[in-house]
Amino acid sequence: MNDILLDVKAVSKRFGGVAALKGIDLVQHRGETLGMIGPNGSGKTTFVNVISGHTKPNSGTVSFDGRSVSGTNPFQIAKAGLTRTYQAVRVFGELTVRENVATALVDARDAASQEAVAEIADWLRITHRFDKPAGSLTLMEQRQVELLMRLVQKPKLMMLDEPVGGLSSAEVRTMIGVLSELKGRCTIFVIEHTMKVIRELADKVVVLMAGEKLAEGPPAQILADQRVIDKYLGTADA
Amino acid sequence: MSDANLIIFLSTISTGLILGSIFALVAVGVTIVYGSIWMPNAANGQFFVLAALLGWTMTVSWGIHPAIAAILVIGVSVPLSYGLEYILVRRFYDVPNRNISYFVLSLGITQILTGIFAATYGRWSDQFQLPPLVSGITFIGPLPVANNRLMVLALALSILAALFALLRYHRYGRAIRAVFQNRDAAALRGVNVKASYSLSFALGNAVIFAGGILFALAYSFDLTVAWTMSITAFAIMIIGGPGSVLGAVIVGMVFGFTQAAVSTVASPTIAAFSYLGAMLLILLFKPSGLFAR
Amino acid sequence: MTPVTEKKDLSLLAKGHGLPLACFAVVAFATPFLLSGNRYFAFVAGVTMIHILWASGMNLLYGYTGLMPLMFAGLAGISAYTVVGLTASGWSFWLALPVGALAASISGIILGLPSLRLKGFYFTLCSLVIQTVVTLGFIYFSGLTNGDTGISQIPLPSMGGGQPLSGLAYDLVLSAAAVIGVIVLIVIVKSTLGRRLIAIREDDELAGMLGINVTGYKMIAFFIGSLFAGVGGALYAPYIGFISPRSFDVLISMNIWLMVAFGGRGTIWGPVIGAILLAPLSFLLQEYYTVKDILYGLLIIAVIVLMPAGIAGGFLRKKKESAPPLDVPATPRGAK
Repeated sequence: MNDILLDVKAVSKRFGGVAALKGIDLVQHRGETLGMIGPNGSGKTTFVNVISGHTKPNSGTVSFDGRSVSGTNPFQIAKAGLTRTYQAVRVFGELTVRENVATALVDARDAASQEAVAEIADWLRITHRFDKPAGSLTLMEQRQVELLMRLVQKPKLMMLDEPVGGLSSAEVRTMIGVLSELKGRCTIFVIEHTMKVIRELADKVVVLMAGEKLAEGPPAQILADQRVIDKYLGTADA
Repeated sequence: MSDANLIIFLSTISTGLILGSIFALVAVGVTIVYGSIWMPNAANGQFFVLAALLGWTMTVSWGIHPAIAAILVIGVSVPLSYGLEYILVRRFYDVPNRNISYFVLSLGITQILTGIFAATYGRWSDQFQLPPLVSGITFIGPLPVANNRLMVLALALSILAALFALLRYHRYGRAIRAVFQNRDAAALRGVNVKASYSLSFALGNAVIFAGGILFALAYSFDLTVAWTMSITAFAIMIIGGPGSVLGAVIVGMVFGFTQAAVSTVASPTIAAFSYLGAMLLILLFKPSGLFAR
Repeated sequence: MTPVTEKKDLSLLAKGHGLPLACFAVVAFATPFLLSGNRYFAFVAGVTMIHILWASGMNLLYGYTGLMPLMFAGLAGISAYTVVGLTASGWSFWLALPVGALAASISGIILGLPSLRLKGFYFTLCSLVIQTVVTLGFIYFSGLTNGDTGISQIPLPSMGGGQPLSGLAYDLVLSAAAVIGVIVLIVIVKSTLGRRLIAIREDDELAGMLGINVTGYKMIAFFIGSLFAGVGGALYAPYIGFISPRSFDVLISMNIWLMVAFGGRGTIWGPVIGAILLAPLSFLLQEYYTVKDILYGLLIIAVIVLMPAGIAGGFLRKKKESAPPLDVPATPRGAK
């Protein structure tokens, strides 16, 4: 577990005059599930956008799997083995699930074999939807398709932006089960408001507050931290 | 400054003012429609020419006094707008990315009107000239200016001022501006969004019609002015910031002066190239425009 | 049972386009013979073939990549003027054609650069501005283009024995160009390039996140699409014998767009049908160009209002939904 997968140093991002991220440092080891929490607007999604190359930071460096990925394009970062999901579910809605998966295989870092695709689809219980347009599926099913499209690329790190957002409580339970098994397939970075997800999955938690890192540590310690409770968990956001 | 140079200078200023105020009117009309219903109306130039041609028919063919004709032309735009809104525009209000549908739709309208104009007015004449609103000449320093053109300028500026007042102080204007800024928030505050949509569509087109009839009163025109006007109004709107009335007025004035100045020293093609170049640069590097709301 | 990914198998019959393609090829090559008794109808058919080529190129950009390039006719014009200029200075047409087509392609890449920053309406507006600038350029640089007057009496290309390529032979060349164009489009769409372009059309940010080089493939789409425009423009000039800035203005771009949208964007055969229906119409109505304008305008509005997916698009969507769901996704996939 002392093999560093993601190494973020002093990343800052401003939008106009507003500082969204103020010098964030963060280290994630291979196999370690990292949870990121914080109120709305604290910069969590901006952080993921910077790591995945969608947003260029004003300063700071990101290295992934031992290589610097600062200033590279999303597709290059994806090919390096870093993948992500979006807060609002995002699939090719007009295309069938099969076509979605085929698209994910075209430029994959290390495309899964046909058998491996079938195995992942069976594990996610989405096989029976393969010929439906992805946009016609339920939110839960679309989340499963999202995971399937990422997993067939055999990523090293998967960044999940609120993976249970909008799901019913039964679906949240199912998703937590899926995600805990997912830990065996790749390293996970997860943004969540639902503390249950963080508590059950994360090995380490980072709290973001107005673009700054407020605290970092094991979930039990963080969720009991008085500053975190005062500033975040005590508020309606959590 | 020699007398000749002074005359050139003054005539550039006066032409720039008249053209600028008319450009501003049309661009304001386009920007009101875009800002509220997200419709980039590429047919604005055809509407502009339609107004001018209607004015020509009323004054030249029917012998109506130009002032009354101008009021009638602007009046006619209202039922036309509401009809168009009812048949075509309304059905896209809830379509995502409707600006591209509207854009293509307005290109279709452009083509239809182009055909209609060519089939009807195109056979009658190449150049159209309306009788003046008022006669006489006023000397500004050494430069003689037709009172008619001064009248057109005064009218154009008054309409612009009235629009500002309407959008800023009147109940309807405030509703339109609320929808400009945020459709959902406006709906929550009790603004009837759909009604404000059709109102802004009609208002925007009325302003374009006003620009068309005023232009026809000041200058002779031909059918090709339609496409030039479309492109110019779009350039003004994009550079000024889509939806920004103030931006449309300022950039419209700048364009009027540019056109007047460039036409005295170089060809109008250069002016067209420069507008298009400016628009491309803004599109690429600051698509929200210079005066973004 | 279809595999998740298409195998690297480009045999067209297996993909369901074989039969229509065979029919189309037969009709395309038979038409010049059937109409050889009537030069006027054969000529209209030839012009239609050029429009099939153009519509297929526009379809690659608009239907499959999701960009609406209203400077398409301008690109065809760049090629046409290049070819006419080169042949006038002594070049062989067959040498000038690839040069002209390449000129269109390179211009297409450069003029397509705004698509990297602008989406939807803003790109379309930008392309409209570019088209207007190109048209103004054709008028303004009259030393090369003879301005608004245009260039007339463009000589026919010569065949092997110094004979001019005329009548039936030229018609057959145009048929071949149309058939080859459609085949190229089918091959692209069925390849991984097509899958990447569709992904970019559907959601370019997501496509990039899945490892697709969005910038690179947009440029490739522009290169190929503009090549279609360029080849069509090069063949058009000597065939008609006359070109002017009006031959390649924004209305022509809109007409080609309409063939794609009316027939059904993002399908192989829709735009071909669109071109077959609309290209002769515009030619037969040339005497009544005002009627043509009004008709085209009405069609544009009808397409936008009634069938956002076009004729073939709506048909295809229905068929897709009624297909029975399959339970198993997998058959062995070709080696990567």
